[in-house]
Amino acid sequence: MSALLFANARLIDPASRHDAPGDLRVRGGVIAEIAPHIAPEAGERVIDLDGMVLAPALIDARCRVNPASTGAAGIEAAARAAAAGGIGTLILAPDSGAGLSRPEHFAPLEAAALTSPVRLLPAGLAIDSAGEMGEIGLMLRAGAVYVGDGGRPEPDTRLVRRTLSYAGGFDAWTALTCEDAALARNTCAHESDLSMRMGLPARPAAGERLAAERAAVLAELTGARILLDRITTSAALKALDAARARELDMAATVPVTHLMFNELDAGGFDARYRLEPPLRSEADRLALIGALKDGAISAIVSDHRFCTGEAKAHPFPEAEPGSANLEALLPALLTLCAEGRLDLLDALWPVTAGPAELFGLDQGRLAPGAPADLIAFDPDHPVIHTPGARVCAASSAFDNRRLTGKLLLTVVEGAIIHQPES
Amino acid sequence: MSRTGFSYDFPHASLVSIGDLNPLDVRMIFERSAVHFDNNRAGTRAERTLDGATLINLFFENSTRTLASFEIAAKRLGAHVINFSAGSASISKGESLEDTALTLAAMRPDLQVVRHSAAGAAQYFARVTGVSTVNAGDGAHEHPTQALLDAFTLTRRWGEVGGRRILIVGDILHSRVARSNVALLNMLHADVRLCAPATLLPEDADRWGVQVFHDLDEALEGCDAVMALRIQRERMSGGLIPSDREYRALYGLDHARLERAAPGCLVMHPGPMNRGVEIDGALADDRERAVILEQVEAGVAVRMAVLELISSASPNQRYVSDSGDA
Repeated sequence: MSALLFANARLIDPASRHDAPGDLRVRGGVIAEIAPHIAPEAGERVIDLDGMVLAPALIDARCRVNPASTGAAGIEAAARAAAAGGIGTLILAPDSGAGLSRPEHFAPLEAAALTSPVRLLPAGLAIDSAGEMGEIGLMLRAGAVYVGDGGRPEPDTRLVRRTLSYAGGFDAWTALTCEDAALARNTCAHESDLSMRMGLPARPAAGERLAAERAAVLAELTGARILLDRITTSAALKALDAARARELDMAATVPVTHLMFNELDAGGFDARYRLEPPLRSEADRLALIGALKDGAISAIVSDHRFCTGEAKAHPFPEAEPGSANLEALLPALLTLCAEGRLDLLDALWPVTAGPAELFGLDQGRLAPGAPADLIAFDPDHPVIHTPGARVCAASSAFDNRRLTGKLLLTVVEGAIIHQPES
Repeated sequence: MSRTGFSYDFPHASLVSIGDLNPLDVRMIFERSAVHFDNNRAGTRAERTLDGATLINLFFENSTRTLASFEIAAKRLGAHVINFSAGSASISKGESLEDTALTLAAMRPDLQVVRHSAAGAAQYFARVTGVSTVNAGDGAHEHPTQALLDAFTLTRRWGEVGGRRILIVGDILHSRVARSNVALLNMLHADVRLCAPATLLPEDADRWGVQVFHDLDEALEGCDAVMALRIQRERMSGGLIPSDREYRALYGLDHARLERAAPGCLVMHPGPMNRGVEIDGALADDRERAVILEQVEAGVAVRMAVLELISSASPNQRYVSDSGDA
């Protein structure tokens, strides 16, 4: 692999909280050198970034591929969209396809990985829809990054306890959907004055809190490491803080949509904002952003889900929940920075070093010897997130939104895998 | 019976739990077991220490091998044996357990052997009836003669089990065999290890005086013997283990895995085996390694020793034994 030199970059490494001008050399698929100035060598390709940001490529810990195309093709499409979104590592959610509960279910992913521009990693389904435990041990051996309930909160506490004990024996993170199953059933909105006026079946924020508290009790009982999958309320954040104060091994992810939008965005019954979990109050959104500054959130996830136009062409409660977010993840976070709500280090940590530390991945940092998974972007360039301008044109809550921040290129293992026409 | 060499009378009229025994009791059991073991092998039927005694096998749980082992042991010693097993008319007529126990006790047996699915059942029978009782398995609590025969098998091989590293792998949570073995092997100063997925280990197993492992390869390091426990099919559902395939891959014993253990590591199984799940068929059949049939053989000898020793200690002993000193 030929050497590559990024010159005149603003190097941002959330892992070391480094933000300074400098050059970075890539050789043999890894970061070879980082210095204020690196003299080009003969035959080396030099990319002058002219002050633009060079940062680790993003790690997305939750992407659900289209269940209608469970084969390699569906995964490849997601991988291309990820590359176009600056994501270098894409972790497929346990509920991808028909559910990844046995190592054989990773086969389409392994097939897609052969040609995928980005790194593809699976997460295993710990409890299938029949209430049976997935082959956690064999899936972890086969490369599962974590295991989880795949977005289906399990009401049977004994089964959850056993699953946590079993997975805990392998020191694996178990992702639990942060919902109370009964409170969330058949609802599509956050319980509030607004949803009540609109007549939408709604779930209270207390459901998240119940789930987070239950998880904390089970973490204490089993000693397992629990990842609260997609918390969206300040109630759950408080429960998480309390659990951590008790030194329990708990972490949480937040979907990028819930950092950008609140229940008012869905106020017009627009099915693009029909999400799972539902959009919450503005106070919840601000609390989540605040938690990013405190480092309480280990990962921001795209929570990408491919929904066709037909799936969304229903009244709000009946529309399929989900949004295509792979290409919105980076500009959404950069928009929060442009609005002054976050700085770049805090915004990028939960999509780089955060998930890398959580799952023990080598990538996600700018350091000599680390894999050369990189992105360059212009943090101030406005973009309109139109379906026509995206690789994945599926329905997105970000459709036609004005965002700030433009990806310039994506590098994985030292190879430029995406470079939009400027 | 002869007590030459002991200045101590076996003090227990019942055997419900390994915790009832002290190391000297165990030594007495093993010394008598050795005599019976050799006699059984030689075909000698000289020890008629239970001649004329009546023993009731009261098996509320299905059993073939344990029932047969106790029956043969008692008959070899000259006792009359009556078997009541699960499903037989006498114990399936809706009678309360206490009534069943008292009814049978009223027939004045000298000994009873009890197996029941409830923890504490043997102790209950012993207390209610006052008859000398051997626990042949009470729920997930204890199966003391199994532990004794396991330790006796190892003692025959090694001289003693003290200082040896012994691993028990499998469903510890539901296993009475494991509980009795941990108690006995600890008493005999063995270095005991347990290995199972976390779902099949009791929460407080690390306080049992053993080392606990979830990884079989780590657990096998330097082991002198490894005992595989039977994995029940019903554990495959309900979230205890994902599948028999995963269990075999992670916790199944085979020749390759044993490379980690000490040279000459012995392989044990209390039976009945699930070949190809907790133990590879070829390993189970490897007579160099597997002492599974030796365990069965030792079982009869150990049960002979236990029956004669507890009957010697029984205040109810009425039959005439050959030694005349009872």
